[in-house]
Amino acid sequence: MGTQVGNWLDERVGWRKVWDAIFLRKIPKVNWLYTLGSATLFVALIQGVTGILLTIYYVPTPDHAYDSVQFITTQVPAGWLIRGLHHYGASAMVILTVLHMLRVIFYGAYKFPREVTWFTGVFLLLIVTGFGFTGYLLPWDQKAFWATTVGTRIASVAPGVGEWLLLVMRGGEELTAVTLARFYGVHVWVLPASLLILLTIHMYLVIRIGISAVPRRED
Amino acid sequence: MSEEKGLSRRDLLSIGTLAIGGIISIALGIPAVAYIIGPARRRVQEENWIRLGPVSKVEIGTPTLFKARVERQVGWIINEEEISVYILTEDGRNYVALSNICTHLGCRVRWISDQGQFFCPCHNAIFNKQGEVVTGPPPRPLDQYVVKVEEEQIYVLGG
Repeated sequence: MGTQVGNWLDERVGWRKVWDAIFLRKIPKVNWLYTLGSATLFVALIQGVTGILLTIYYVPTPDHAYDSVQFITTQVPAGWLIRGLHHYGASAMVILTVLHMLRVIFYGAYKFPREVTWFTGVFLLLIVTGFGFTGYLLPWDQKAFWATTVGTRIASVAPGVGEWLLLVMRGGEELTAVTLARFYGVHVWVLPASLLILLTIHMYLVIRIGISAVPRRED
Repeated sequence: MSEEKGLSRRDLLSIGTLAIGGIISIALGIPAVAYIIGPARRRVQEENWIRLGPVSKVEIGTPTLFKARVERQVGWIINEEEISVYILTEDGRNYVALSNICTHLGCRVRWISDQGQFFCPCHNAIFNKQGEVVTGPPPRPLDQYVVKVEEEQIYVLGG
């Protein structure tokens, strides 16, 4: 029955070829460190799901942000779990992405023909950092407020464009409702869209080129 | 396909992956559903007596309008809203408290004293003095509050 439906669908959309290319592709004999990329992808997926769920209650304005987060944590069923997963998932994202990058560096996997995969990966790391930075402000508590005050102030010491960068990031001189709204917009629209585009390229290249083998001593 | 002897390594790994994936999906899916439908199932609003005003204000035989402010918590926001209640008594001892919300679609009804009936302007519904439907689309009489009189003050049970 399942096979028949599968065949019917395969004749029309050819999904088996896609499935095989993604999940049954040939890989060299590698070790567990090669699962760090998949682990990152998995946590990113969890972040997406829990993040979407959080937007159902979260309101990004100074008079509601903190209260709505408290409401999620203390009143909504399983709200503590959804928020907790998103909170700790954020740290996991940064840690896993960096570990994945270190594996690529130490095994020399960034070399020909995988340079473009590496470049997209570098930008993906920047996006993950961006997620962390913008998401940190959203609970709108003291820690969030002052961390972002300091974080944007750090940007202002960049030579030449620093002051201008600070104004653009904060949407003005001070950290205000404008700042919160734009951090939210970047966190839920700009960064996810960028992540999706770069991740698609990244994954396409991984599947097309195949993963690198563990380098041997004589290489 | 697997031999009769048992599962192949490939089958075992597929089943294992599916099983772990299934467990994770359920572990996240059930809380997610609870999270989404949570506020809809919520019926906290503990009941409390709302003081309307002095009982001396009520005219015998005529529904008298009382207004009261009540605080209501919706999500993380506390709203102050006004409720309007018509108090009716025929003998000065037994009181009836009628809601002014039309049972049809929630418009506000008002007492027309010349005609001795309640009128809803939205669809021309008419209720009699006791709140029963005379004409119009409402499916049931006006809702009633539980009412009590204590120390010459009228209270209704709100929630």
